[in-house]
Amino acid sequence: MRDFDSRKVADIHVQLHSHLPSDSALRVKALETLLVDKGLVNPETIDAWVEAYSDEIGPKRGARIVAKAWTEPQFKQRLIRDAPAAIDELGYLGKATAHLKVVENTNDVHNLVVCTLCSCYPFSILGIAPAWYKAAAYRSRAVRDPRGVLDEFGVNIPDEVEVRVWDSTAELRYLVLPQRPPGTEDMNEDELAGLVTRNSMIGTDRDLSVKPGGND
Amino acid sequence: MDGIHDLGGKEGYGPIDVDDDGRSFHHDWEGREWGIAQCARTPGITIDWWRHCRELIMPEDYLARPYFDSWAQTDFSTYIEAGWITMEEVIEGSARPGNPDHGDSPAPMSLQQVVQEDRSHAFRFDASIEAEPAFNIGQCVRTSGYGNVGHTRLPQYARGRHGVVHAWHGAHVFPDLSAQGVEVHQHLYSVSFTAAELWPEARNGKDRVYLDLWESYLSDGQS
Repeated sequence: MRDFDSRKVADIHVQLHSHLPSDSALRVKALETLLVDKGLVNPETIDAWVEAYSDEIGPKRGARIVAKAWTEPQFKQRLIRDAPAAIDELGYLGKATAHLKVVENTNDVHNLVVCTLCSCYPFSILGIAPAWYKAAAYRSRAVRDPRGVLDEFGVNIPDEVEVRVWDSTAELRYLVLPQRPPGTEDMNEDELAGLVTRNSMIGTDRDLSVKPGGND
Repeated sequence: MDGIHDLGGKEGYGPIDVDDDGRSFHHDWEGREWGIAQCARTPGITIDWWRHCRELIMPEDYLARPYFDSWAQTDFSTYIEAGWITMEEVIEGSARPGNPDHGDSPAPMSLQQVVQEDRSHAFRFDASIEAEPAFNIGQCVRTSGYGNVGHTRLPQYARGRHGVVHAWHGAHVFPDLSAQGVEVHQHLYSVSFTAAELWPEARNGKDRVYLDLWESYLSDGQS
């Protein structure tokens, strides 16, 4: 049984360092083979999870939430007040979003989300996090030099705009509500959703273009 | 623990590779590991114990190996620690007869079933407790100067610092104990810190960093 012994696990990692193959594909294959042999996982279910998170569960959902907030003031109010209930209206409540918070960009405020301790991410509305979000370079600097980080993403934040960095240290997860771009008054929800980039919902993009960019 | 995972504010990791093509998985094995992690369960496991097992990966592996590779290693470690897989089986690459066997494979799930299953993964971590919250919104608080030798969610860069309570979220499972298999709820707050309180070089007086912190990480900032 489990005894929650940190030293034992640290020792296991030292042994795994020696015994596991170096190649990542072989390591994961070895894990799947053992778990299937022992009757712990079904490979077809793994296929289904891969498929689900390749397209259906991903940033298109987040973009839909944002576009709906832009077009329906009542929905936006519910989203800011109780985000899990609001996204559940769309069927998007799921993995890691039961304690979702929505933080809104304004002319005076820009929000940026990070997880410095691991890589917490609102999976059921944004899908799999981009590689940079999980990398040491972003995790280390987002809290210390957010303006420099944003500059690397091509986003310049004027001095008079306040930058708020949200470090996901608990089970709360954050979705940035970007500003609706000017010149989109005649667009419907579908068209608006096409303007919302994944990065804008994390905070590494700010001024969305009226030229459809899809989900980057 | 003061481990390699606690990256906030650390320097020397270079520029960010901002290019991303939007694909969820760039190698088959990344998707396989994602799927395995969604199915994998061992008795008594908590999200905090799993995170702690990932933090315990040797620093050279933690920093150098790809992200989902570190998930696979974490899964290996939790299965071995729970006694469901042995190191001998890892070395041999196959299950040994007589070692723990959990019978027939679980029934396969379809795409629709998995999408539905994802909804059931909306796990909540809050609960009502009798104790009143010790701090009020707007109150100045000071974070503990020390971490926990085991798992903790108070990063090094925010220890011994003054902040302001921005929001209260009710009581949530306390990770330091959850990583030891003990479920206790504590009041959770979002606390905001000025950049200048955290970093000597901070120059914009408006910028703030918000962290979600449990009550026992905090004390009254005036006393």
